[in-house]
Amino acid sequence: MEILKVENLCKTYGKGEAEVKALKNVSFSLEKGEFAAVVGESGSGKSTLLNCIGALDTPTSGSIFIDGQNLFSMKEEKRTIFRRRNIGFIFQSFQLVPELNIEQNIVFPLLLDYRKPDPKKVNEILNMLGLTERREHLPSQLSGGQQQRVAIGRALITQPKLILADEPTGNLDSKNSQDVMDMLTTASRHYQQTILIITHNKNLTASVDRVFQVSDGVLTDLGGVANETLS
Amino acid sequence: MKHYLELVPISARVHRKQNRMSIFCIILAVFLVTAIFGMADMFIRSQIMQAQIDGGNFHIGIKDITDEEATLISKRPDIQAAARYGVLNFRGNEGYTFEGWNAVIVGCDEEYMTKLMVDIIEEGNFPQNNLQVMITLNAKEYLGLQIGDTVAINTPGGTEFHYEISGFCNDNSKTMSEDSYGFFMTTSAFRKMYPTEKSDKLADYNSILCVQFSDLKNIQNTINNLKEECHLSDGQVSENTKLLGLLGQSTNSFMVQVYMSAIILFLLVMFAGIIMIASSLNSNVMQRIEFFGLIRCIGATPKQVMKLVSKEALNWCRFAIPVGVAMGIVVVWVLCAVLRVLSPEYFGAIPTFSFSLPSIVAGIVIGLLTVLLAAHSPAKKAAKVSPLTAASGNALNLRPVRKAANTKIFKVEISLGIYHAISSKKNFVLMVLSFSISIVLFLSFAVAIAFANHTITPLRPWTADISIISPQNTCSIDNSILEKLEKNPIVNAAYGRMFSYDVSTTVNDDRVTLDIISYEQKQFDWAKNYLLQGSIKVVQNEVNTGMIVYSPENNIEVGDTVNCRIGEKPIEIKIAGILSDCPFNTTSNGILICSENTFQKITGQNKYTIIDIQLDKNATDTDVNALHQMIGNDFTFSDERMGNESTRGIYYCMCLFLYGFLVIVALITIFNIINSIALSVAARTKQYGAFRAIGVSTKQLTKMIIAEAATYTIMGTVIGSILGVAFHKLLFGMMITYNWGDTWKIPLNELGIIIAIMVFSIIIAVYRPVKRLRKMSITENISAQ
Repeated sequence: MEILKVENLCKTYGKGEAEVKALKNVSFSLEKGEFAAVVGESGSGKSTLLNCIGALDTPTSGSIFIDGQNLFSMKEEKRTIFRRRNIGFIFQSFQLVPELNIEQNIVFPLLLDYRKPDPKKVNEILNMLGLTERREHLPSQLSGGQQQRVAIGRALITQPKLILADEPTGNLDSKNSQDVMDMLTTASRHYQQTILIITHNKNLTASVDRVFQVSDGVLTDLGGVANETLS
Repeated sequence: MKHYLELVPISARVHRKQNRMSIFCIILAVFLVTAIFGMADMFIRSQIMQAQIDGGNFHIGIKDITDEEATLISKRPDIQAAARYGVLNFRGNEGYTFEGWNAVIVGCDEEYMTKLMVDIIEEGNFPQNNLQVMITLNAKEYLGLQIGDTVAINTPGGTEFHYEISGFCNDNSKTMSEDSYGFFMTTSAFRKMYPTEKSDKLADYNSILCVQFSDLKNIQNTINNLKEECHLSDGQVSENTKLLGLLGQSTNSFMVQVYMSAIILFLLVMFAGIIMIASSLNSNVMQRIEFFGLIRCIGATPKQVMKLVSKEALNWCRFAIPVGVAMGIVVVWVLCAVLRVLSPEYFGAIPTFSFSLPSIVAGIVIGLLTVLLAAHSPAKKAAKVSPLTAASGNALNLRPVRKAANTKIFKVEISLGIYHAISSKKNFVLMVLSFSISIVLFLSFAVAIAFANHTITPLRPWTADISIISPQNTCSIDNSILEKLEKNPIVNAAYGRMFSYDVSTTVNDDRVTLDIISYEQKQFDWAKNYLLQGSIKVVQNEVNTGMIVYSPENNIEVGDTVNCRIGEKPIEIKIAGILSDCPFNTTSNGILICSENTFQKITGQNKYTIIDIQLDKNATDTDVNALHQMIGNDFTFSDERMGNESTRGIYYCMCLFLYGFLVIVALITIFNIINSIALSVAARTKQYGAFRAIGVSTKQLTKMIIAEAATYTIMGTVIGSILGVAFHKLLFGMMITYNWGDTWKIPLNELGIIIAIMVFSIIIAVYRPVKRLRKMSITENISAQ
């Protein structure tokens, strides 16, 4: 079952001499439960690709379908609600709400949807993340690795169709980075969750199903585990 | 770049948008102080001019001294000018006449006319000998007199004094209103005419020595020295209270209360300026801390960071203070120009482009000191940031969060909005104070309007330009005169009244002395707005009915019967209404108003005592003189135009000044709220971006911002209302209850207006930043500076 479909995606910044083509006719798709990684040099366009797929930015042309729905044919308000329910985000700098505690941060997307969080589900996620004891703590009282785990919990709580992770290990040491990757892999396997992550750490692509490379705005599908191909 | 402080202008260019708001706040605060102080200065200047024109430019009058003592006093070095001044027939009851009209005789030294009065000589010169006299301008216009003509003044003893006219001086409203002529002669000529024996005492000639001091700073000290050195008692020295009061030199208890109130109002204005700047600087502290934290990372010492912050704040002042001061000056100029247009007779002398030095200095000093003080705290905060925290790159973590937001009571976006408002205690207090100070200022200045309405009675609809009054206030003006007047094209309205004074009546077995006055249609129409109880229609249409004018002394009520007897027949008048006010409230008797028919029935009289005339706008002095000639000498022709014009001028001036204040306060409220919310939103732009990325819709973001703004507003309104009402009560007590005994009431209307202004401001304040956020893509939003 096709969860994500990107067709001829282009993104251009600036005009005239300052024009930069960040994405050039990018097309690919992801099936349900697939765990994919996008690798590329800094400035190659991988973050732009992720921002467009996540509807954080508007593409210059092309279409993005999530679960068969064209993201950019929706109006802003509808798109936000769609995104909230169907796309989970994990950022390099965590982007937790400092005013909310760990549990509140995790259930935040549900609260925004005016839904009542299921305590069982919340406990399950807190358990999986190993944060049950710290549910009342504030983000500022956690380490970087723990904060990123909270961000993963927040992305998982709505059981979205797709999770997008932008350099989720960029601010973490190697031990914490591996922990985060393991957690994402578990989520992918356990919940049949489709995940697309961006990373420049090729070692971390070992556990993913597919690897894409972006270079100068052009996406190449590298197929299975990147390590074999890239090395 | 040669010095690290050169980073300031470079960073200012980068952070132009954030800095713009702080600069705007400083401009507003400096503008507020400069404009209000400037307006107050201009108002006092114009009032001083008015007081000098009306009452003379002298500070004290000294009586019961001899000519020798007067000469000695006038030669003292601390005295700028001094002149003897005496008057005869001031009230028109001593029998001095000129061509059958009252003559008010003034005997004075030349300095009185040239130095102690302002622009009084219109044409010619002060009399150079005892056979010359100056006369008021109305004599020239009405009698066609010229300089060099001879006039004769008749004394009550039957003697006739002949003088040659040496010049004309401006009429004052008294001579115009009393249909008399003023004569100004030398002191010796005056003494020759004076009926008592000759002596060298001023008191023997109803004269005083008017004194103008050279040093205006410490007049009370100068007066005390003068009293001590010249052995003058307190009773001998009288102050020109109005002028001294305006110069800030009066010891009169009324003026002291007014000074105290003015000081409180000015302190409030200063406090508002300080709070606005402090609140604005504190609001963008987060962005500044991040920036300076980075500087710390690179290797700046805390001291260097503090220097950078102070330099940045001073840099803002370099632009903001001159702009604020300039805006204040321009507003004062515009107001001066408006004053000149509104009342050229009284404010024509105010220079349109004059500078108010105290207001400029106040604006600069308050702006500079506040900015430096307000910048000190963020500078200290920035200096304290550890390089490690700054290096983590997550600015949001720089704000310490001690307790999680409560998401159980409200929806999550509302809870976060409230939390954003109250999370930083200092910011919250400053914001709430800056919002509440607007209410306090508004309510405090509202007291000044009530004060103005008490001190200067605005012209009523029935105010007449000219009154024709029968001699001895009898009913003797024929109805045909009223008919003639009504047909005259320069007469806009003419209406007559019949008076019967001191009528003994009995009401509810009590003896009451009443003045009975008749009204016609127009006067009944005007009275409608002053009806407290009963019906005007009944009084107008039914014979033997009347209305009583309310006064605390009488307890006549609607339904009571007034029994009176004028002549043979006793008559009963039923009271059908009570009025709160009428044009004549000087009498100590009660006032009964009835229709002309009822009046005729009671008194048997059918002629008027007084006919009031309201003139057409285009009526000229020539038209009025023609009217005067038509009426002739049988009745007193009382020209009230000058007095009315003066009242109107002062009232406009007061209104413009006070309502100007209120408008400025309201505008400042609107700008301050818009700016504060914009600053607060700008400081959280990145966070809002992150929220949007997680899935917060723009609608929810709007609610979050509204919740934050509403928290400030509600708290500001509650605190502002409590403090504002307290200040209102305090000032009301000092300015109004103290003088007129009015009881204080909660100013609900004013409170409603300012709260409505605040709510309106909040709507605009939220609308703009939300619109800006809506336009931004989420990625722009997250990476916003």
